[in-house]
Amino acid sequence: MLVEFELIQKAQQGDASAFSQVVTAYRRRILGTISRLIGRPEDVEDVGQEVFMRLYFSLGQLRTPEVFEPWLYRLTVNACYDYLRKSKRRLESRMADLSDQQVMMADAVAGSKAQLDETEKHRVRDTVNGMLAAVSEEDRILLTMKEVEGLSLKELETIYGVNENALKVRLFRARQRVLKKLKGVTEAPLPSAKSDKAG
Amino acid sequence: MFDRAKQDDRFVAGNVPTDEASAQLERLFHAYREACPDPEPGVHFMPELWAKIEARESSTNLFGRMAKALVTAALAASMILGFLLSTASQPGSTYNGTYLDALMADHASGLEPLNIERISELEQQ
Repeated sequence: MLVEFELIQKAQQGDASAFSQVVTAYRRRILGTISRLIGRPEDVEDVGQEVFMRLYFSLGQLRTPEVFEPWLYRLTVNACYDYLRKSKRRLESRMADLSDQQVMMADAVAGSKAQLDETEKHRVRDTVNGMLAAVSEEDRILLTMKEVEGLSLKELETIYGVNENALKVRLFRARQRVLKKLKGVTEAPLPSAKSDKAG
Repeated sequence: MFDRAKQDDRFVAGNVPTDEASAQLERLFHAYREACPDPEPGVHFMPELWAKIEARESSTNLFGRMAKALVTAALAASMILGFLLSTASQPGSTYNGTYLDALMADHASGLEPLNIERISELEQQ
């Protein structure tokens, strides 16, 4: 928890200053999650404000402050779903469209722990975004929450309102689909090799 | 036999074992997390948030006021109607005779006597 339970309770009772403190504590983390879920930097703040606005109007429904974080993540995921539905926008790149350089980068990144410079970071972003865009929106959000945001199964259980076993199954299948996409691309012959053979 | 099948399950669509592929995927996700740091919120984030909250609150209040006004008007209308109905159904205002008596009483003053004399004149012609 980034804030004390008492602060959340004060915010629940309508204390605007306490609410502002809660927002200040969580906004950066929530904006980060949103940016990784929707993939459009220009809309991140708008969606973030929508999340905190929903928080403001529904804080009274929170029974125990202990579940505040999963609850905030649930609001975040729902706001992202709403945004994606509204804009009807999927991440445009597909794994099949990724350049060979990006594919090689995926391998290089996976095998090395070296610090990434900006160009490499950009390529990693493109690679993973493309890889995740190849699976369904539900799988993409679930995988991002688990693997990138680092949420535990227990937290995901609270967010999604399903039991741990069902989540494990969904996560396993989502990972298999992503792995399949990853492997499908890494095993594809390079265009340059094709042209060499043709020549 | 079972162990062999289990071992085969470790392979996905090629020669790379599942564990290795999973580890590769995890490293890729980790690198992605590093490549996508949490963005710093803009200076207008909080003022804009409060402005949005206030705008929604005022629209909610306006809706609430309209709903209240409608409920009050409906209540007043139903009270007026109730009052009118109760006064209309008071015993003094009802006619105790039959339907024909009522018709006669109503039309008696408006009826002109038949011009018997003129008819008789025509008959004479």
